[in-house]
Amino acid sequence: MPQRIEITLKEQLLDAEGQSLRLKAKNYFDIDLHQVRTIHIVTIDADLTTQQVERVRTEIFTNPVTQVSSLQPLDVDFDWIVWVGFRPGVRDNPGATAVEAVEDLLRLRLKPGEAVYTSKRYCLKGSGVTRKDAEKIAGELLANDIIQQWAVFDSSQWDPTVGIGFIIPKVMLDHQPEVTTLSIDSDETLARLSDERSLSLNPRDIPTIRSYFLKPEVQHQRRQVSLSDPTDVELEYISQARSDHCNHNTFGGRFHYRDLETGKEETLDSLFKTYIQGPTLALKKKKPWVVSVLWDNAGVGRFDDGHNYVITGETHNSPSNMEAYGGAITGIVGIYRDPMGTGRGSRLIMGSYGYCVGPRDYAGDLKPRLHPRRLLDGVIEGVRDGGNKSGIPTPFGQVMFHPGYLGKCLVFVTALGIMPAEINGEPSDQKTILPGDLAIMLGGRVGKDGIHGVTASSASFSEHTPAGHVQIGDPYTQKKMHDFLLEARDEGLIRFITDNGGGGLSSSIGESALFSNGCNIQLEKVPLKYDGLDQWEIWISESQERMTVAIDPTHLDRFMALSRQHAVESTVIGTYTDTGKLHITYNGATCAYIDLDLLTSAFPQWEFEAVWRPPALRGLTEPVLGVPEACEPLILDMLERPNVCSKEWVCRQYDHEVQGTSVIKPLIGAGRDVPTDAAVIRPVLTSQRGLVFSQALIPMYSAIDAYHMTTCTIDEAVRRAIAVGGDPDHLGGVDNFCWPTIQYDPLKNPDGRHKAAQLVRSCRALETMCLAYGIPLLSGKDSMYVDGHLPGRYGETHKVSALETLQFSVTGVIRDVGRCLTMDAKVPGDRVWVVGATRNELGGSEYYEHLGHVGVNVPEVDPDGFAARYRTMAEAVKKGLLASCHGIYRGGLAVHLGLVAMGGELGLTVDLAKVPSDGVDRDDTLLFSESAGRFIVTVAPDNQDAFAALFAGQPAACVGEVTETPQLKIAGMNGNCIAALTVERMKSAWKRPFGDLI
Amino acid sequence: MSTKPNVLVLTGFGLNCDHETAYAFELAGAVAKRAHINALIAGDVRLDDFQILAFGGGFSWGDDHGAGVIQALRLKTNIGDRLLDFVAAQKLIIGICNGFQTLVNLGLLPGIDGDYTRRSVAVTYNDCGNFRDQWVHLKINPDAACVFTQGMKTLELPVRHGEGKFYAESETLKTLTENNQIAMQYAMPDGRPANGVFPHNPNGSLVDIAGICDPSGRIFGLMPHPEAYNHVTNHPDWARKMEMQKRAGMSGKGEAGEGIRIFENAVACFE
Repeated sequence: MPQRIEITLKEQLLDAEGQSLRLKAKNYFDIDLHQVRTIHIVTIDADLTTQQVERVRTEIFTNPVTQVSSLQPLDVDFDWIVWVGFRPGVRDNPGATAVEAVEDLLRLRLKPGEAVYTSKRYCLKGSGVTRKDAEKIAGELLANDIIQQWAVFDSSQWDPTVGIGFIIPKVMLDHQPEVTTLSIDSDETLARLSDERSLSLNPRDIPTIRSYFLKPEVQHQRRQVSLSDPTDVELEYISQARSDHCNHNTFGGRFHYRDLETGKEETLDSLFKTYIQGPTLALKKKKPWVVSVLWDNAGVGRFDDGHNYVITGETHNSPSNMEAYGGAITGIVGIYRDPMGTGRGSRLIMGSYGYCVGPRDYAGDLKPRLHPRRLLDGVIEGVRDGGNKSGIPTPFGQVMFHPGYLGKCLVFVTALGIMPAEINGEPSDQKTILPGDLAIMLGGRVGKDGIHGVTASSASFSEHTPAGHVQIGDPYTQKKMHDFLLEARDEGLIRFITDNGGGGLSSSIGESALFSNGCNIQLEKVPLKYDGLDQWEIWISESQERMTVAIDPTHLDRFMALSRQHAVESTVIGTYTDTGKLHITYNGATCAYIDLDLLTSAFPQWEFEAVWRPPALRGLTEPVLGVPEACEPLILDMLERPNVCSKEWVCRQYDHEVQGTSVIKPLIGAGRDVPTDAAVIRPVLTSQRGLVFSQALIPMYSAIDAYHMTTCTIDEAVRRAIAVGGDPDHLGGVDNFCWPTIQYDPLKNPDGRHKAAQLVRSCRALETMCLAYGIPLLSGKDSMYVDGHLPGRYGETHKVSALETLQFSVTGVIRDVGRCLTMDAKVPGDRVWVVGATRNELGGSEYYEHLGHVGVNVPEVDPDGFAARYRTMAEAVKKGLLASCHGIYRGGLAVHLGLVAMGGELGLTVDLAKVPSDGVDRDDTLLFSESAGRFIVTVAPDNQDAFAALFAGQPAACVGEVTETPQLKIAGMNGNCIAALTVERMKSAWKRPFGDLI
Repeated sequence: MSTKPNVLVLTGFGLNCDHETAYAFELAGAVAKRAHINALIAGDVRLDDFQILAFGGGFSWGDDHGAGVIQALRLKTNIGDRLLDFVAAQKLIIGICNGFQTLVNLGLLPGIDGDYTRRSVAVTYNDCGNFRDQWVHLKINPDAACVFTQGMKTLELPVRHGEGKFYAESETLKTLTENNQIAMQYAMPDGRPANGVFPHNPNGSLVDIAGICDPSGRIFGLMPHPEAYNHVTNHPDWARKMEMQKRAGMSGKGEAGEGIRIFENAVACFE
């Protein structure tokens, strides 16, 4: 008999959660709620006596100072009650910790199948609130149907003795696991079966797969283990390994590229090999600090003689688009497993975020699954809980709004770790597996999670069907695993480690088995969340918070003892071998028997047509604009633009100081409210060395040319790092491509060839920039298919494709964090310099966007020239000549002068006539052009000459002075004052859009 | 014979400030050991070997069911007596953030009338409704017996929490005030009391309480993180301050951050 505890805050305490809901209901839907009280419900589905539950209620779930509780429904006043609980199979983190607490207190173990479930009910008061309002609050603020269930009650429907009743979201599958064989009598049959089972086999792969299983020697070997036709386990394994996610078929594909302007045609064999691997390997030879790249879960660089740092980044777009909180928390917690699984394992030291969403105030006809506002709230919160609860600082991030992301949002997550350079005298970045080593899965358990959406569309959907395709990350379980693995590593217990991400065991075991050349896996040993999973589901489930480790069998006892101490579940699920076979059994019967080298054999390459039509041929031109007369309101309006304005509310939710390593924080300046160019941390507490980290995203330039989008994005990321004191000799990059579908289809993707050409151009730019700036690509990922089909006003659907987007991250070692600098103006009387020439490059700019144009003069990078300039700037930093340094980015000079003044809460006088420029004769171009390669620098008068000497011969000029009066005063080219804006006015405009959010 | 005190810093179950807390104590001159809560419960690590016990920050058990609640339950159920013996032996305990939340749920704070088992105060959800990371100005109570804050008047530290609002019935607040147990309060930049004004008081704490001690002053709990101000460059204004010092012809004095003084005070008790 289940029992239920209801808990709420005492009446005199402010219900902050209820208050937040009240504000959102008002701000988002204009629904007036007078009061919201939250009631937490703990439903215990276990064989406990009432006395036991009573003890649990008072000693665990009720704070005697702040809360009241009861085993009966609490009597809290309401007009409407909204109840929200999880669907079956959705990770209920508080439910799981409640089980731990109950077991600890009562000194017992819950029986299999027994559990604790948490849910909430909200008591809404509001005289004018209708049922429709209450349902809107339930469905569009509180619950997402994918993972949650909800109910709305008015007073006539509410029985105060029954309450919400006993809702037990328990998974009951009532299914006997079975292995199915699939017929391969023809390509057509296999293609049909692939379709029916959502295997997503590429039609071109099918002949290769069939010919393998039809080989006489293969058939002979299979008969000896009682197999004939391929099993579902085997085909799922092949499907996972061949997926674009795991195999990067797009970047490995063959591109037929045609330039319509020059008429030149060429064929490119693998963008990855040509533009990523090639330059990175060449740079690795020149840069002794590059330790390990291009093969492991993350790239490795040298931090100091005793430590290596580790970095990688990826996206979690599709799941976040469906369920923002769950997708984002799973994304950040997932990326943290990559450094944990790099080399012998590293300790996490930093994370970052990048969100690209539709306009927050979108009010158009298209109906995305989640409104951008709700979606953004959810992803912010997901990364907040995932990062904060992992104890990892999040000191940098970006938010970008553009209608192209209405179709699908982007959620970038990046992670950095650190590890000793050696473990027991061996290099920490290297690892292997010997035959006879044990394969161990640890961390979370396996359920129907992330299995190619099959369960979601299943016809047999019931109240006990797990909502498996979107998950909720569990940072608590992962943090325990992280701590355990580091101890095991330091004791020398780990031979090999990798994470379970996309593809689950299928990928982690399949890929790790290549190191010993074989494995025997006993699937029945894999611990499950609930019974009834088929063998193939266990094999490919993407249930989170799991790692796969190989250990020497002699270490098993110690490994398991340590695992128990850390309350981490570890299970031996098989043995690595050197048989060349992936051999999977279930209770002794073979369900997969495949040659590991099948996947390295010749599968056909993917092919793409790419046609480049240059901007002029696409009809892009510069707009015909007269020079604006009212510069002050224009600058203020620019500061208010969503992609320029303050996003303090996001930064403040993220713990950016845990681990005690913070050097340059996300928000800096006298008011501690202006965003930094880049973050710096000091990951080894006993050392003065630091790691700089920056990122850039400027997808708007792709509307003109993704080549220049790419050069400008990389330039910005590098310039950001240089601005805080980064070392141009030690910069490592991470490329994260997010592209709309590039495969041409006359009906479904008529501009596919253009998007493919943009990808080719972007990759070329990447190579050019990496070689010029000396940036080896330590890691990178691609996420294709950033498109969505959104319903419109009449039930028609619209395909919405994202702009071709590259997020570029830069990291590097700084020898002495004491030499780092911030971007805020610091001392009145300091000279203001602008370094780098401003050109007529307003194409794709924030200014043009503000006025409703795109233009064509996209900013262009002079890679070698800029690289030399950044060396000079680094020299100036080293000599201590700068008081502040800030790059000029989105919005141009006016916006960034404003930020430097706001940062220092000081004034600046600036004479536009002195700004170094090249072919510019208008104030608005000087103010808003987004030319790359530029900085605003403040220099003490004593350092003026030395600074000028250092930059002699470069486009650099003293343009004004820092003033005590906090006012940005700009003289136009003709000498007249065109704007005089106080810091107060600028801050007020800059904070207006999101300043009230917390 | 070294006079360095031994400090035990608890780890495990989602705690996460253990490295920097141990580092802060080492910097202050102690010998710090990080040990898993289960190792302490199992007896592999013995409280008798330590003079200072640190409950650090983090999200023990995910902060589900109230921050620090399950950690307190776990410790009380398994080693409650040993903790009381540690207190009776007049040793030092510090609880930072999640550790403070744990101390109040254990009843080790406020310890009014020497009762170290009663939960009479709470640290609950921020009034602002969200987790928040910011630096705060703190005013130290010179009359508090708190050994950790001796000789200090003001301090700046980061807070990073979603549940930091100090709450108690008015009678209890009165007692805490009268006993000088309110060791640390949120303040304005000029040192005046924050008077509940956000964001100077970041969470809505009653009486601007940021930290309290027991009547003996040997048990101290606080929401701000002194271990996160272990180096001068942790301070949000360090780059500005350094530039000013450079102009004035001064060089910075040392690398340690001011948060370390809290730990030095604790270590000084054993010298």
